[in-house]
Amino acid sequence: MLFRPELRKILPYRTVWIILLAYAVLLMLFVGAGGNVTLNGQQLGQSLYVFPALWSKLAYVASYFTMLLGVLLIILITDEFQFRTFRQQVIDGASVGELVQGKLAASGVLAGFGMLVVLGVGFYFGLTRAAATVDQAAAGLPAVLFYGAQVLGLLALAALVAVLVRRSGAAILVFLLYLWVAEPLLRLSLPDELDRYLPAKIFNSLTPMPGQELLDTVAGPSLALLPTQALPLALAYMALFWALSYLLLRSRDL
Amino acid sequence: MAILELDNLSKTYGGTTALKGLTLQVEPGSVYGLLGPNGSGKTTTLGIALGVLRASGGTVRWFGQEPTAANRRRIGALLETPNFFPYLSARQNLLLAADIKQADPRSVDQALDSVGLGTRQHDAFRGFSLGMKQRLALASTLLGNPEVLVLDEPTNGLDPQGIAEVRSLVQRLAAEGKTIILASHLLDEIEKVCTHVAVLQRGELRAAGPVGNILATADRVLLRPAPDTPAALVQQALTVLPWVTDVRAETGGILSAALAASHGPADVNRALFEQGLVLAGLEIRHRSLEAQFLELTK
Repeated sequence: MLFRPELRKILPYRTVWIILLAYAVLLMLFVGAGGNVTLNGQQLGQSLYVFPALWSKLAYVASYFTMLLGVLLIILITDEFQFRTFRQQVIDGASVGELVQGKLAASGVLAGFGMLVVLGVGFYFGLTRAAATVDQAAAGLPAVLFYGAQVLGLLALAALVAVLVRRSGAAILVFLLYLWVAEPLLRLSLPDELDRYLPAKIFNSLTPMPGQELLDTVAGPSLALLPTQALPLALAYMALFWALSYLLLRSRDL
Repeated sequence: MAILELDNLSKTYGGTTALKGLTLQVEPGSVYGLLGPNGSGKTTTLGIALGVLRASGGTVRWFGQEPTAANRRRIGALLETPNFFPYLSARQNLLLAADIKQADPRSVDQALDSVGLGTRQHDAFRGFSLGMKQRLALASTLLGNPEVLVLDEPTNGLDPQGIAEVRSLVQRLAAEGKTIILASHLLDEIEKVCTHVAVLQRGELRAAGPVGNILATADRVLLRPAPDTPAALVQQALTVLPWVTDVRAETGGILSAALAASHGPADVNRALFEQGLVLAGLEIRHRSLEAQFLELTK
């Protein structure tokens, strides 16, 4: 396991800290600003930060910033191709499996960071603006775990794109195009029974939009999977993406 | 048991053949040179041996076994350019390499000192000159006290003093009993430090053996048989003489022969005359090391 070498690469890297800081600050600002939004003349404020519903709302909002972590993992992987350090590590005695394990560990660290930021932001706003509901905080925490799974899923996809494309700019572009253009277009051409099984859709299903139940009563039941239904499929996609990354790395020249 | 065995190794990139059926063996304790012009397949050979390039055919064995990550950790290797994280310091890069090699982190200081980078260890790699990068790569190869060193063009970017230091380092390590595989296009480098050499050209092995045999600069004797003496008979007679190491038919009915150091042109003339073979002319052709190399790689 190349966990310590991964930390040696990540901790002194300024780009890592800039992106992580941007992720935390943007989430903080977005959630903070959300409380000031007025709806029908009333500030959302208090109702937005009430436990335990706060966690599912936060997880949903944070899912919009997850691509920052994906971009970071792409940079970490494509750097290895650009600097030819994957090549050097194999020469020094690492196996291709260990290289992939190292990046898997890095994605675990990033997912852990994402969950910690969500918890930190949640407790900060929950305790300062809806402290009376804090005794119900634990009830909504599974939403944060589902968010962690979503981050891991998107990072697995990012890793596969990075290994496939090898160049940071192009890989980031392909990753974002897939999430924002290719898969949404594909969903349009597929029946609802099928499109819910596409990877980004599965990962999104882990953090459903708050109030979805209310929408369902108006617009009819959604065919989107529940987080508990999506989780095993998300795990299967993760395994598939990491396995493909491994096979690609093993089959090509470094 | 050979340290490295390559058997019928080949590599193609798209339609281009970079290596054609290369077979060679590196014995323990030798300083084995891979010599050839740029593009001859030296780096491809080492890349396959070190597991970073996929062979199109053939096999590689290290220490008598299939290549594994574990036996790569017994090797210190510099392949092509030094590959490090530019934002990490020299020391951080070596600590990272030591982790991967499962080497004692304390060996980093010794490795840095051995290449004269002790005082620059906290500087970022990106600020290093080409020579300093090369020194750091050499320091990295020494981590974990490897049994084998694989050095691909190790004097690239070094000034004359640096080149002399690397050569002396290679000789010192060889004296310690380490096996060293050294790829270079510099004839002089191979001749000065290697015990054995394989000459590559366009992905093919042209010659392999002890440096003294392959890059011998011994003069050749040119023989012009008399009009009534068939060149084929002269060639046949020369071939059986134990002190004639090589006989070739040149153009215009002329033969050339390489002789062991113990014998000279007069011995050739006497031996042929005793068999009734008469020469109309006999001259010595002086050969430079470069001429020998060019002939091997033409």
